[in-house]
Amino acid sequence: MSGLGPLTSRELKKWYRNPVSLLTGLIQPFFWLALFGSAFSKISAFGPTLLDGAPNYITYILGGVLTIIGLFTALFSGVNLIFDRRLGVLGRFLIAPIRRSSIVFSKIFASSARILVQVGILILAALLIPNGLEFKHGFTVLDALILIAAVMLVALIFTSIFTTLAVRITRPDTIFGVINLVNLPLLFVSYAMFPPGLMAGWLSDAAKYNPVSWSAEAIRTVVINGTLTASQMHSVGVWLGGLAILATILLLMAYFVSENEIRE
Amino acid sequence: MAAIIETRNLTKIYGGKVKALDDLNISIEEGEVYGLLGPNGAGKTTTINLLVTRIAPTSGTAIVNGFDIVKNSLEVRKSIGVVPQDLTTDEDLSGFENLKMVSQFYDVPAEEAKERIHKLLSMVSLDDVKDRLVRQYSGGMRKRLELIAGLVHDPKILFLDEPTLGLDVTTRTQMWKYVREIQEKLDVTIILTSHYLEEVDALANRISIIDHGKVLATGTSEELKSNLKGDIILATMKTDKDAETLMKYPGAIEAKENGPRAVRLKVQNSDEELPKIIQYISGNSLSITRLTVQKPTLDDVFLEYTGSEIRSEEPTDSRQEMMNLRRLRR
Ligand SMILES: Nc1ncnc2c1ncn2[C@@H]1O[C@H](COP(=O)(O)OP(=O)(O)OP(=O)(O)O)[C@@H](O)[C@H]1O
Ligand SMILES: [Mg+2]
Repeated sequence: MSGLGPLTSRELKKWYRNPVSLLTGLIQPFFWLALFGSAFSKISAFGPTLLDGAPNYITYILGGVLTIIGLFTALFSGVNLIFDRRLGVLGRFLIAPIRRSSIVFSKIFASSARILVQVGILILAALLIPNGLEFKHGFTVLDALILIAAVMLVALIFTSIFTTLAVRITRPDTIFGVINLVNLPLLFVSYAMFPPGLMAGWLSDAAKYNPVSWSAEAIRTVVINGTLTASQMHSVGVWLGGLAILATILLLMAYFVSENEIRE
Repeated sequence: MAAIIETRNLTKIYGGKVKALDDLNISIEEGEVYGLLGPNGAGKTTTINLLVTRIAPTSGTAIVNGFDIVKNSLEVRKSIGVVPQDLTTDEDLSGFENLKMVSQFYDVPAEEAKERIHKLLSMVSLDDVKDRLVRQYSGGMRKRLELIAGLVHDPKILFLDEPTLGLDVTTRTQMWKYVREIQEKLDVTIILTSHYLEEVDALANRISIIDHGKVLATGTSEELKSNLKGDIILATMKTDKDAETLMKYPGAIEAKENGPRAVRLKVQNSDEELPKIIQYISGNSLSITRLTVQKPTLDDVFLEYTGSEIRSEEPTDSRQEMMNLRRLRR
């Protein structure tokens, strides 16, 4: 009686059947890489020290772009809930003997699945473009797991927040307002795009507490270094641990709020 | 017969101000088609939403299929099917996919669900379009899909909130046929709300008239009409003065204006009263152009109890517009 299966499959159907979202999903990674790769390529001139030893800027920035792609998709995860309410579909779910939380969790899972696909496409794109992603020191299965875990945890953190908001917000313009309010700060007050050495002191200090930075740094560490030293492993562990704790708290919040508060 | 639904002082106050339901006590028997009739804002949808556990009562409760709507809402939800007033199917899925999804909500085994969905689809003649996206359905097709979406899990009770709202007259009659067929073939108790009198008259065994969240009268259509005690005589006169004189006819229980120079007289028994009225007319040398005798309709019952006329033929687009507006306001 959970309803999670049918509701998640509904979300995914709606996504892959929409030719526009499919096409933009395919183009977007190339777009981002081309944009960031060339816009900030001058940073490479500062040399490998600033780039933490990355062979080129794309390799350096991959962790950031992956995280940001996850973040931006996650920010929109609540929008469908608001439209379900407006279009009356939510009414059908609420009179069914399913767990109320499955309505919200279907959005969380579907968004996470979309993010996973985007991550795959982005990595492929980064490998394909000239002067793109290079695994100088190899890339192990553990590295891949760390990369996926980092993006997924960021996805869970922000899908939890934004679907929970959508439980209470009834107007699309309100949630779009909130998204617009937080997206750029989350992006720029983080280590997703720039090395800490290039950031203003206060900005870099603030960025330390942004989960976007934790994910970006964790991925960056494994992509650049391949096999990690003990101290690198420790840092990655701290970042992932922080992400996991935050994700757990927020998923619990999403669960309790949706079980008790969701209504038309 | 046992009551399958019983409300006990069911009350709903929205936002601490709007008293939509006021100590409602109704009892619905197993196997019947029960009609809730009332003007806009009477509390019909509120009643349905409470009984299907879509909203919680402010006070009071109801027992549905043996389960308390407050304490045991999950069991209530399992035993009922609902066709809400607003559309609830997903436009981005096909008709079949919508029904399939609903069947999964109720844990209907896949094989059984498939069989049942096909049966329901052919019952409302949607088999040909079952794989089309609902977005491409006409309004009538969409309503038919909504109708069977409430039935895929073989519920004991079906709630229909304004099932033909916004449909044209032909499509509406067709929907009635489907509702009757469902009642006969699937053996469900049906609770129907409407503000179309003909609809309730045509479908329901028993009717409650509600207004301002209270039941004003309950009974079969015949009982309600006979409760009115009296027939209606409509007369149109040549002049206003003649109409005024007829209004003063002493044998009438009630006399009302009924349009320009038209008079509506309520009398105990038209067969006995009519000759006397004709005598009164000629005795006062009144000129009459038209005289009709009317046995009471549900319209008159409604007028009697609510003091206002229900408009049975509202222009569909304005209703539709209101529905959309209501949705956008949320
Ligand atoms: N969510 C709500 N918040 C506040 N008031 C509400 C809400 N829903 C309904 N009402 C009010 O409660 C009263 C009863 O509404 P309800 O929808 O039950 O009427 P109805 O008989 O179904 O009318 P209609 O024929 O228009 O569908 C109305 O006065 C309405 O304005
Ligand atoms: Mg209503």
